[in-house]
Formats: sequence, C-alpha cells, structure tokens
Amino acid sequence: MKTIYSGFLIILLTLQYAVAQSQEGPNKSQNFTDLSIYNLPSKWTNQNGNEIELKELKGKVLVMVMIYTSCKAACPRLVADMRNIEAQLPKDIKGKVKLILVSIDPATDTPKRLKEFSVVNKMEGDQWVFLQSTEENTREFAAVLAVNYKRISPMDFSHSNIISVFNADGELMHQQEGLNVNNEETVKYIIEEAYRIKP
Amino acid sequence: MKRILKTTTYVLAGAALTFGFLSFKDDPIKDYSKIPVVGQSVAELTAPPFVPKPVGNRAATKLIVNMEIKEQEGEMADGVKYTYWTFGGTVPGSFIRTRVGDEVEFHLKNHPDNKLPHNIDLHAVTGQGGGAASSLVAPGHEKTFSFKVINPGLYVYHCATAPVGMHIANGMYGLILVEPEGGLPPVDKEYYIMQGDFYTKGAYGEEGSQPFDMDKAIKEQPDYVVFNGKVGALTGANAITAKVGETVRLFVGNGGPNLVSSFHVIGEVFDKIYLEGGEKINENVQTTLIPAGGSAIAEFKVDVNGTFILVDHSIFRAFNKGALGMLKVEGPENKTIYSGVIKEETYNPESRNVEKVKDEKTAAPTKPASVKNTQTAPAKPAPAKTAKSAPAKPSAQNLRTESTPLKPAPHLQTQTASNLQAKIAAGKNVFSKTCFACHQSEGQGIPNAFPPLAKSDFLNNNPKKAINAVIHGLSGDLTVNGKKYNSVMTPQNLTDEEIANVLTYVYHSWGNSKKVITASMVKNERKNKPVSVASAH
Amino acid sequence: MNPYLFVAQKKYLLLLTLLVATINVRAQDSTMAYIKEGSYIPLYGNADKPPITVSSFYIDKYPVTNAQFLEFVKKHPEYSKSELKGIYAEKNYLYYWLGNYDYGSQKGNAPVTNVSWFAAKCYCECQGKRLPTMDEWEYIAMADEYSVDARTKEEFNKFILSWYEKPQTFLNQVGSTYKNKWGVFDMHGLVWEWTFDFNSIFLSGESRKDKDTDKLLFCGSGSVNASDLMDYAAFMRFAFRGSLKANFTTRNLGFRCAKNLSPGRLTVNSQAK
Repeated sequence: MKTIYSGFLIILLTLQYAVAQSQEGPNKSQNFTDLSIYNLPSKWTNQNGNEIELKELKGKVLVMVMIYTSCKAACPRLVADMRNIEAQLPKDIKGKVKLILVSIDPATDTPKRLKEFSVVNKMEGDQWVFLQSTEENTREFAAVLAVNYKRISPMDFSHSNIISVFNADGELMHQQEGLNVNNEETVKYIIEEAYRIKP
Repeated sequence: MKRILKTTTYVLAGAALTFGFLSFKDDPIKDYSKIPVVGQSVAELTAPPFVPKPVGNRAATKLIVNMEIKEQEGEMADGVKYTYWTFGGTVPGSFIRTRVGDEVEFHLKNHPDNKLPHNIDLHAVTGQGGGAASSLVAPGHEKTFSFKVINPGLYVYHCATAPVGMHIANGMYGLILVEPEGGLPPVDKEYYIMQGDFYTKGAYGEEGSQPFDMDKAIKEQPDYVVFNGKVGALTGANAITAKVGETVRLFVGNGGPNLVSSFHVIGEVFDKIYLEGGEKINENVQTTLIPAGGSAIAEFKVDVNGTFILVDHSIFRAFNKGALGMLKVEGPENKTIYSGVIKEETYNPESRNVEKVKDEKTAAPTKPASVKNTQTAPAKPAPAKTAKSAPAKPSAQNLRTESTPLKPAPHLQTQTASNLQAKIAAGKNVFSKTCFACHQSEGQGIPNAFPPLAKSDFLNNNPKKAINAVIHGLSGDLTVNGKKYNSVMTPQNLTDEEIANVLTYVYHSWGNSKKVITASMVKNERKNKPVSVASAH
Repeated sequence: MNPYLFVAQKKYLLLLTLLVATINVRAQDSTMAYIKEGSYIPLYGNADKPPITVSSFYIDKYPVTNAQFLEFVKKHPEYSKSELKGIYAEKNYLYYWLGNYDYGSQKGNAPVTNVSWFAAKCYCECQGKRLPTMDEWEYIAMADEYSVDARTKEEFNKFILSWYEKPQTFLNQVGSTYKNKWGVFDMHGLVWEWTFDFNSIFLSGESRKDKDTDKLLFCGSGSVNASDLMDYAAFMRFAFRGSLKANFTTRNLGFRCAKNLSPGRLTVNSQAK
C-alpha cells in the first residue's frame, strides 16, 4: 500500500513539475534591455483582430494610454489628448511613432468594439493601435505603467489618467499625469526619441 | 475774511488728503516669488534643541534638503518604550533653516525597514498639500520635489499620510524657518522646542512597550504632553543654557495632534513674540498661545541667574503629563531685579509679640533647588488598571427634531411648463453622465479642445445642427463664438428622448436661447446625413 | 452503482482513482486552507454598494518562506537576485540575500520579503497557483481564532495595530502568529502581503483630500469612502498598498498564493458581476 501511495505521489509531483515547466517566465533568449517592456511575454489582440506581442512594436516610439470604450468621464478627454499629441508630431517622424490605447475592460472591449471606437473617433491611421488581452495581462501591464484601476460598477471603472512615452527599446521615458495638462513636454520627448531612431 | 476762509479750506483739504494717504500706509505684502537664486548648497539639518547657523545676508539659493524617515523605538519616559515615527530620527524632526526666495529641493527618504508609507506637508509651501501630494513614499524609496519659499516665518511641517492623526501622534512633525531678507537680528542663543501630545495604552508612567491608543487620541485625552518628544527631553542634564545678559531666541512649535499650547517661561517675560511665527511682533508677553500646527518665536534677555521652567500653562500638563523643560542661566545674581527671600516672620493679625521663625521653605517656584525637589519629575503613579473604556462611538442622541420635510405645494402651472421642468431635470441628468467631461459643468468647454455650450452661437443659430451633432458626431474645423476648434465629437449613443431632454437642458442654461427640443425633432434629424463642417485640410 | 459488477481490473482502477483523489486532497490540505464563499463590505470604495461576494478558493496557510523561494529561483534562475530584469523589480530585490542562492543567516522558514509583485506573481504561477485578489485577502483577514469576521472586536483591531510598533517581525518564522478560523496563519503580525490587484487603490499623496477624489488624476468616482473610518487597522493596509508600485520591494512585504477550486483559467473574484 505504502509503495503504491508513494508511487502515485511521485507521479503527481512529476505532473505538477510539468505544469510548472510549461508556465511562461520571462524569455531569456531575447536581448531586451533591463527596463524594456518588451520583456513582457503577454499576448494581445488589436482592433483588426490580429494577435500581437508587445515586442513586435520594437523600434518605434510608443505613446500609451489605458482607457475603456464605454467610459464617459475622463476617457473622451484622454482620447482627445492623444489625438492632440499626434497632431503636433512633425511629418517626418510620423512613421516612427505608434499611439496605443489599451483597454482596461477587455470583456466589453472586444476587437470589434475597439475597431468601431477607432472609426467614430477618427483614429484609423496605421499609427493608432488599440489593444486588449486577458484580465491578468491587463493588470500586469497596468502594473508596469503604474496605472491603477478598479471596477466600480458593472459598467464603470475608476482609473488613473496617465499617458506614457516609451523609447524604441521599450523603456519608459516620460509620463504625463492628469487631465488638462500641458502636453508640450510629452510631445518634446516623443520627437526627441523618434529622431534617435537610426533609419 | 474771504481769504481766511480760503486758507482754512486749503489747510483742511490738505489735512484730509494727508490723512487719506496715511491710512494707506500699510505696506503691501512683498512678492518674493521672482527672486533669482544663486548657486546651490546642501541644507544643514539639526536635531532638537539645536538649530542650524543663521542665514545672515546671503542671497537666495537652491537648497537641497535630505530628510530620512525612520520608524524606531524610543523612550517616552523612564522605562516607557514607544515606537516613534520620525523625520530624521528625532521628535520633533530635523530643523530646516532657509531664507525667503530659496528654492528647496526636498528629498524625502523612507527607510527600507519601515513598515509604512509617509509623506510631508510643510506649512511653508505654497502648493497642493504643502508638498504632501508629491511626496508619498513607500518604504525603501525616495521622493524628490521642490518648492520656493515665498513667505518669511516659522512654519510647522508634518506627515500627512492617512491616518494623519496617527502619524502626527507618533511624532512626525518639525519646524522649517524661512528668514526674511538679511536674516533675523542676531542673538546670543537659539533653541528649538516643539510640543506634542501622545496617547498610550497604559497610563502615564506605566512601564514597558506602550502601543498607540486610537481611542484616547480621538477623545483628545493624552497621557503625555511633552516638549521634544519625551518626558525630560529638556530637564536636568538636557536643559538648555544661557549666561546672564544674553538674549535667547526660542523657536517654538506645536505639533499637536490635538492640544493647543499656552507656552510660558516661569520667571521670565518674553521681550518679543513673533505672533504665530509670522511677522507681527508683540512685546512684553507672559504667555503665548501656540495652536496645533502652529508656532511662535520668543525672544528675551536673561537678566538674572537661576533655572527657568518652560511649561504649557494648562498646568496639569506640566506637572502630570510631562510638559516641562528648563533653561539654566549661569552668572552673577542681580538682587535689584530679584532679591530672593529677604525674611520671613510669623504673621499674626492680633499683633502680640512678633517672633521670628526660621524656615527654609519657600513658595517661590523660581529657585532651582526647590523646583528640582518638588516638581521636575512627577511621581509615577502606580500602574492603574484602567477599566475597559466604552467604545468611542458617540451614540446618536435623541436630539434630532422630528421634522417632516416640506412638500412643495401642488403646482398650478400648465402641464407643458411642468413637463418642461421635468424635461430639463432629466436632461441635466444625461448631461452630467455624458457631456460634462468635455463641455464642463457650466458649459464652458475647454479652450482649444472642446467648444463651449454656454452662450454658444453655433447652438443658438442652428438647433438642427446641434441635434445632428449629438446623433452623428461632429469633427473638423469649427468656429464657436469666434474661436476655432478642431476636434472630434463621437456619435452619442442616446435615445431620441434623451437627446431632446439634454439639448433642452443646454438651451435653458448658461444664457442660451431657451429653445425646446422634442423627441420628434430628433427623430426627423436621424434621417439626415451628418453635418459636414468644411474641413480646412 | 454496484462496484461488484465490475471486473477485478476495473475495481482496481477505481480504487486507484479514489486513492489518487485522496492523496490530492491531502496534498492540498497540508499547505492550503479551503475558504468558503461569502460576502463582505470592504473598507474602500463601496460605502453605498452591496457587499462583495467572494467565491470559494484555496489559500496558502503560510506566507512563502526564504527556503521555498530559494527552491523557486534554483528552477528559475532568471528570477534570482542578480539576474532579474529591472522592469520586474527595483534594486532592492532580495537585498538581504547574500547571493543568488543564499539567504544568509536568515531563517529558512521566515517569510521571504523584498520581493516585487512580478516575482511573487510568477512564483505562484509556477506552483500552478496565483496571487490572491485584494478582496480574497481582506475576506480571510477579517477572521480571528474564533470567528470569520472579528472586525468589530476591539482586541482584534488592537492586535493588528500593535504590529505597527513591533520591530523586525519579518525575522520571525511563519506560523508564529495566531491560526485563524479558516486555519490560516500570519494574516496579521508578520509581514504585509502582495495581492493580485493591489493597484486598484486610489489614494493620492495628499490623504486629507482623498475623501474627495481628484477628478483630474483619476477617472470615475470614489477613491475613498471608507465604510468604517474607525477601522484604522485596515486603513493602514490600504494606505500601504496605495504607496506601492509593482516593481517595489520592501523588507516588510512578502506574499502567499491562492488557488481556484477548479483548475483552468484564473477567474478573478471581481465584485461587479
């Protein structure tokens, strides 16, 4: 009896170990800098329904904000802020910048809905990326951006209003916090980082 | 005669004018916000009761302050252990000395072994939370922010992390001095004293490690009221000192959290008090009131030798809770100013024979010897077994008057009017959910981003366009009240009824044309194409 | 069902299946406690909302220890002291460890601290577990030795508050505080603990205005409407969480793991359903 018992225990442990092995840790083979968000292994879906990993965006300057589409309070203004920032970018760097809106309500914000949102907000150019993922990935991503959020009712969230700028290596360079803030500095950072990118 | 009259008139007029001008003589407050800074240096910080060197007549500069927060155990009284939370490892925290116009770059460091986040609110700061908003720092971190000191005076700083009362009650307060241009007049001795009230589970003097008692703190019933964080911080060997003939300046603060201090030096009169730490000087003051979260600067020349007792003159605090310090003055006696005992005799109203009695006892509290023997160390009461206090929740007394809310009298208005009121109320509700974020609560909009709805020519000239904009959205170049906008309004997901109500509300607010929009108007507009605003691109 | 109808082989198989199940439960029992579904009103953000329902789940009886964490970094060297990428933890990560595989003179059964949220999260995932949500954690933390909700007991709150004054409790071994009604140790009195959604707190640095949410910094309502402002014990926890970022590590902050009843995708106990 005892042997059977321990035999099964071994099988169980092996199973558990196998499960543990299949978990994804940070990928060591990649050569990202220490502080790069490209270290994050999470997978995302964009407004066109395509799966992407963050690291596919490497080499571009990223401007990120976390919102949700059914939000009527701050998000329309954050979106306007993003649009306003984009409008101030010189023509010659437009191709080097991606403006990314990440949903904090992935259950509601399906890729289809993000697509509609991009259309009515007239953010249909290639520079605009809308992303959603699992709840865990979203929480982790928010943790990286130091964005806090919380569901406060079936339809609504409370969340930090932060726009972040990442350089071509995926390192956080600048954060603009609040509404009604002057986005001059944010634009300055984006332009600086974009000109650093070697053609 | 006429001439005399004329002259009199002139004289009177001149006098009136002079008086008029004199009444304006109050100096305007000087604006120090534009003073340029020269160079930079690291601020000298000192532990109480000492203060850093005076600023003298140096120019305004960039001053770097490195302040470390430590949560550490200390002694509240002999054998009484207490965990203090401190700025710089002392209670009160390190003294910061600046001059008006300095730009202070403040580095707040929270020691890695600490358990709690902290921040700092400096009353000398003009800005959100006095710096608290920018300085919340987790254990093992450092936060940097900077500010320009633009008001001279003596200011309290304290921690303002929730629960604020508890952080202050554990000792997180101190003083920052902003000297005027050219510095304060020189004196011989300067000291730093700060009063605070403490709340422990055990009664006064009960030995062992004493935890903080929130109940007592809320009831404002401290066990300890002390200068510089503990009983005896300024007595015996720790007393502050001066020599006869010197002028002493005390920077006195009150951290609270709850009590107001009646600061007094037994046997001295303050020659000068900078009231509440500000610019106004009062002279010849016996006791000065220092509010919780406030300060005062006290100056006096010491003319005679002896030990002078510093107290909070709410006197039970001094003798039963620890609010007592000492200033020891060395030097020759001055019999003219203070003689000491000349003689004592028996007093008998029915004068028989007068018999001299020798008795050493004296009632004067100013002689060091007598004071030391009687009043410095309050006898420790035996640890009192306090009965469990009742929960601190005040029961709602039956003091509430049973008032029945007034029902508005039935309205005799026409149905449409009352409908209109209901419509506007419903519309306001929609507005506050859907529109206020961009167009703002008073319809003022946001310059260069979202056009105003208040007194809006766009709205008032063409209600159809307004309806269309809500249904289909609106984008491109747009001119409202002479200002250009280029933004995107998305189609709003609202019913005909909701759109009618919200627009009616907008038209009846902020100086608009009082139009009424109906659901059928909205329905008709839905068939039409989006309004194209001629785009400039 | 009558097992005697089965052929011997099948009977044997069934017996084994039962055995495995038993073992599994035992394995579960030895390190984790079963927490039964219930509801509670949290301190923050729900003053006038219905209570939050927490579904049944398992929780580690003890915080994760130095020795356990050592095993983990041996299997996952990329999480060792010197190897972990900066994005996942600040410089102080495991700062009291002497080397990548050496926690020095510390007790092996003392809680591991100076661990970032990312490292804690990964540790749990590698065990087939997850970090508990803030609601789950707070739900368990209401219990004292005798009842699942002791929050109104004066002694209980005093015990929690007294921890703020005890120095260096992180050196004590796990299990050195009381065992609560659920069979869980050290919820109070040893170290702070990470929760999965610690970053759902809205406190600005200026606590005195937190009763009035800063609409410019946070979208939506209600950072702080404490359901019972007298609940200072909990208040401090929320203040602490509010000061953290995910890459932070502090000497007083450890973690433990939770697990769903049924394996599969993590369903976060979320209040708004």
